[in-house]
Amino acid sequence: MTDFDVIVIGAGNGGLTAAATLARRGINVLVLERHNIPGGCGTSFCRGRFEFEVALHQLSGMGSPEYPGPLRGLLTRLGVMDKLDFVPMTDLFRVTVADAIDITLRPDWEETVAVLSNRFPREKEAVQRFFDFLKAYFIEVISAVYMRDPERSREKYPLFFTHALRSTREVLDEYFEDPLLKFVITPYWAYMGLPPRHLSFNDFAALLFSYIEFKPYYLKGGSQAMSNAIADAIITAGSSVRYNCGAKKIVVKNGAVRGVITDEGDEIRADYVISNASKIATYMELLDPEEVPESVIPELRQASVSQSAFCVYMGLDCTPGEAGIPEATHFLSQSTDVDVGYEKMKVVDIDDRDFLMMTCYDLIVPDFSPPGTCQVTLVTLKYGESWLKVPPARYAEMKFKMGDAMISLAEKVYPGLRTHVEEMEIATPITHLRYLGHPRGAIYGFNHFRKDSTMFVPPRSHLKGLHGAGAWMGYPGFQPTLESGAAAARAVIKEMKGGRNAP
Amino acid sequence: MNDELAPQMDCYEEVLKEIELSRRFGSDYSLERGEVARYINALHPPRMTLRVREIIQETSSTATFRLIPADGQLPPFLAGQYVTLFLTIGKIRTARPYSISSPPNQTAWYDVTIRRVEEGLVSNHLLDTIQIGDLIETSGPVGTFYYNPIIHRPVVAFIAGGSGITPFMSMIREIYDRGLDRRVFLFYGNRDSTDIIFGEEIERIAAVSANIHYVPVIENPDEQYDGRRGFITGSVVKEEMKTLHDATFFICGPQGMYDFCLPELEAMGIPRRSVRREMSGPPLQVWEQPGWPEEVKKDAVFSLSVGGVKTATIRAPATESILTTLEKNGIPVPSLCRSGECSLCRLKLLSGTVFQPRGTPIRKSDRQFGYIHSCAAYPLEDCAVLI
Repeated sequence: MTDFDVIVIGAGNGGLTAAATLARRGINVLVLERHNIPGGCGTSFCRGRFEFEVALHQLSGMGSPEYPGPLRGLLTRLGVMDKLDFVPMTDLFRVTVADAIDITLRPDWEETVAVLSNRFPREKEAVQRFFDFLKAYFIEVISAVYMRDPERSREKYPLFFTHALRSTREVLDEYFEDPLLKFVITPYWAYMGLPPRHLSFNDFAALLFSYIEFKPYYLKGGSQAMSNAIADAIITAGSSVRYNCGAKKIVVKNGAVRGVITDEGDEIRADYVISNASKIATYMELLDPEEVPESVIPELRQASVSQSAFCVYMGLDCTPGEAGIPEATHFLSQSTDVDVGYEKMKVVDIDDRDFLMMTCYDLIVPDFSPPGTCQVTLVTLKYGESWLKVPPARYAEMKFKMGDAMISLAEKVYPGLRTHVEEMEIATPITHLRYLGHPRGAIYGFNHFRKDSTMFVPPRSHLKGLHGAGAWMGYPGFQPTLESGAAAARAVIKEMKGGRNAP
Repeated sequence: MNDELAPQMDCYEEVLKEIELSRRFGSDYSLERGEVARYINALHPPRMTLRVREIIQETSSTATFRLIPADGQLPPFLAGQYVTLFLTIGKIRTARPYSISSPPNQTAWYDVTIRRVEEGLVSNHLLDTIQIGDLIETSGPVGTFYYNPIIHRPVVAFIAGGSGITPFMSMIREIYDRGLDRRVFLFYGNRDSTDIIFGEEIERIAAVSANIHYVPVIENPDEQYDGRRGFITGSVVKEEMKTLHDATFFICGPQGMYDFCLPELEAMGIPRRSVRREMSGPPLQVWEQPGWPEEVKKDAVFSLSVGGVKTATIRAPATESILTTLEKNGIPVPSLCRSGECSLCRLKLLSGTVFQPRGTPIRKSDRQFGYIHSCAAYPLEDCAVLI
């Protein structure tokens, strides 16, 4: 006898969609969540009169009701669309590089080409060729990968087979001369964590194509609204979510999952577990060492842990207009040298060489903050290792020092920004480690070098009844992690049908 | 490698080599077992066990409990933060937040300073039964009432009422001990001159510190008193500070003081961003709060049905927070701030309506999906909650 059909460890994006997918099929699921609220990264916190968005900046894959993207389909199947209000964003991003450039791109192919051609007249032709190539490339990807064309071959999809594994920088160098132009096309590398030199062209193309084609979206109530809606769908379908209750151990008997022991020491029986904890914690902490399957060792060994983030959340006592903020998403840099920017992610210090992103949510959802106020978040990616070396006694000092440095960088574009700050919270890699439980506070799972893509490390079960969901199983970000949960649920259903983990 | 597409791709062989090498020389995560928990516990332990090392009688009503770690080291904190004490009193498991009154540079112990209050279940229990050597379970240090050097000004006004002095005591001691470059105006309101917590120490520090200016304000002073009388009004603040712009105001005291002082500050044109207020705990007379429906009498009792991990149906007085009612009935719910802010005691309200004091910060989507902060939610009719 089991207590539940499936236990899901963690109510992050992947855990939530996994549980909701199963629960809506009539499968009895228990979600264990260590915190008092669902969402993992997809959450918010209140300070004074502000509710701060923690992690969502630009939701990919939504598309419009008339031209839906894959994520809209998933959320519709989970029955949450009528409870959520998604808002398309009018900008892809604004990019500034010191005094060298200030340019805003919009989610429209023709306009993007026109804006870039206008700013870089000498490379006008290359701009047109590149965007034609990008579209043609990704149309091949859709057919070959997403539609699973049974006759896919190198001959039929030459662009895909030639360029997928190449470095983004190499491809861009074939089209463009001006480093500024290359820089303003590529800031989305920050959403994957690897600069163009390391990012596979396939991953870069997926980012840029889907944001232009389906537009970036945000939603009223922020990512917490989506997390709450999915958690509610789980409860409404008759399954359970237990908050303030983490998992301590996954119980394994005769090489198969048989349940979970909670932090409080209760054993709950189930033959299937979907872990939304990090892949490292799942195999190194939740399983006893003697139960760790041999097959997962090389997979873990080849992977390295991604960046965490350093974030400054600010509630301003003025409108975006009064603060001089024209666009919701802004990538700020003082130089076009992204490789230096990437190396800077390995140290605690923040200075002129760091690459920043700023989001002002009130420019997307006008009543996001109370009237006459707005909310601004500054983010830069940082690997957690260096922060872990900060002595606890000096931690607060470092946190304020780096927060100050980050705001000073933003003030190069928005002078006097700090004089408007009414509420502020700073999150360091240690903060992310604390709330996510991820090694080194990682927010993107493992580093996404091409060797680590799902093409080479597909998500799979290493132990009977055990499956994974979240960024550690594939790609980072909201759309991929939400999709990974649904995929994990399908894998469990498949295993259930095969009777593979029947005791 | 499991995908049949990859082998036909350009760069495939190169990637295979990368995989082969990284599998030989990559990371061994088994060496990092337990590391995440170690880092969390060094800075933000969810729970700590502390030992009462000393009990210092401060005034007739008030004592300081000096707490040392039962093992290991205390995590650092910011002056102004608090710890929550978890206690079992009779059959009730409950919790209360107390500001740390010792300065952060004192790393060997935390002081919590507790004043006896009428019908104060926890404060009286601590003052009457806790003895030197006892172990107390606490949270790690938490809270957002602290000085932020990025946005707060070097001139600060501390407005304290009664036992609201405790976070300021930590701040003042730190400024004094470490010689911080900050100018302090402490406005400290008390009912009479006999029960002023830390009064002598503050006088001593102010006497030798050019940057710490102490302004006691006594509501009903005795005859010898020659300082300021009455309440901490805007004009008192203005007269003492001379210039009000370019200062940051911190305020901590009973609800009545916020009701009085915050409008005074606003009337003087002090912008909201320059005023930090500490949480004030649950309202003492919730039925007198703005928005309380007249038809619900203060002696009303409703039925509260509890579902989820535990199931029960219990009696719930209208004037008692749902959190307290659950605790009194042996159903503990995690809590920290008990002032509606930290959201740890968040529960789903399945049916019924509750009174939530104005200004309780609840996430927009929590409102949409019926979640309440049970420490700041009072039943206005029969209710059902999911735990």
